[in-house]
Amino acid sequence: MKSLRDHEGYLIIDHSQTEGVPDEVVVKLGLPAGSGKGVFETATFTCSHCQTVVIINPDRKRERTYCRGCNHLLCDPCGAERALTGVCRTFEQKIDLFLTSKGD
Amino acid sequence: MGARYSYSFTTVTTAAIANATNLTNSAYPGFLQGGSSTQRLNIIEVFMGGEASASSAPQIMILARDSTVAVTAISGGFVALLDGSGTAPATTAVVGNSATTTPQRSSTLHLLHLSFNAYGGIVRWVSRQGEEPSVVGNTASLGEVSLSATTGTTAGTLSGHILYEVA
Repeated sequence: MKSLRDHEGYLIIDHSQTEGVPDEVVVKLGLPAGSGKGVFETATFTCSHCQTVVIINPDRKRERTYCRGCNHLLCDPCGAERALTGVCRTFEQKIDLFLTSKGD
Repeated sequence: MGARYSYSFTTVTTAAIANATNLTNSAYPGFLQGGSSTQRLNIIEVFMGGEASASSAPQIMILARDSTVAVTAISGGFVALLDGSGTAPATTAVVGNSATTTPQRSSTLHLLHLSFNAYGGIVRWVSRQGEEPSVVGNTASLGEVSLSATTGTTAGTLSGHILYEVA
C-alpha cells in the first residue's frame, strides 16, 4: 500500500567535524533550530504544485496541507492557495501546458 | 529512465549574491539549463562539501530557478554520464558556472535552501524517484536552475556535484 512517505527525499547536514551554523542563520532559511549543529538528518518532500523542496521539521506541530487531487503534501503557500481556490493544479500539468505551447 | 549525469564543481570560492543580480562568474557552483526549447531535466541530488580554511564560513546556498538564463561562452565544471555503458542523448544539457550573460537567481522561485559551514561541513539532499524538481526548456524561468550563495554568506571554498537526468 502506498503512503505519503513514499514521496519523501532525504537531507543530511553534517557538522560533526566543525562548529556548524548558528540558529539565527538556519531558521531564517526555513530549517529547524539546531539543524546547523552536529549531524542533522530529515526527510524532505517536493510540493507537487510548485516543485519547491520542503525540508520537514520533525518538531512541527501544525498540520501540513494534503491535496486529495494529486495525493501529495503541499508547501505552505500552495496549501493556502489550495484552501482558497479548491483547485489542484500540479506542476506536471503546468509543464504539459508549457510543452504543448512549444509544439512538443 | 533517461540518461543520468553528474555535474561536478571543484574548489569554488563562493560570493554572496542577492536575488535578481548577476551571478559572479566562477563564484557559484553552477547552473543547469535545458539543451533545447523542450528538453526536460530532473534534479536527482545536490551534494556540497566545505573546504574552507577559516573556522566560520557559513554558506547560505539556494537552488533556484533563474529569471535570467546564461547565454554565450558557457564554461566551468565537469559533466560525466553516470552509467559507464550508457549512451548520451543527441541533445545534452547546458551546464557551467561562467558565461558572458550571467544568470540571475529568481527572487521568488527558490526550490531548495541549504545552509552549512564550509569549514568541514557537508550537505547532501537526495530526491525520491519521481519527485524530482525539473528544468524544462532553455528560457526563463522554467529553463534554468542555479545553485549559488546568497546574502549573508561568508566566502568559503567548496566542492560537490549535482546529479540530474535528461528525461
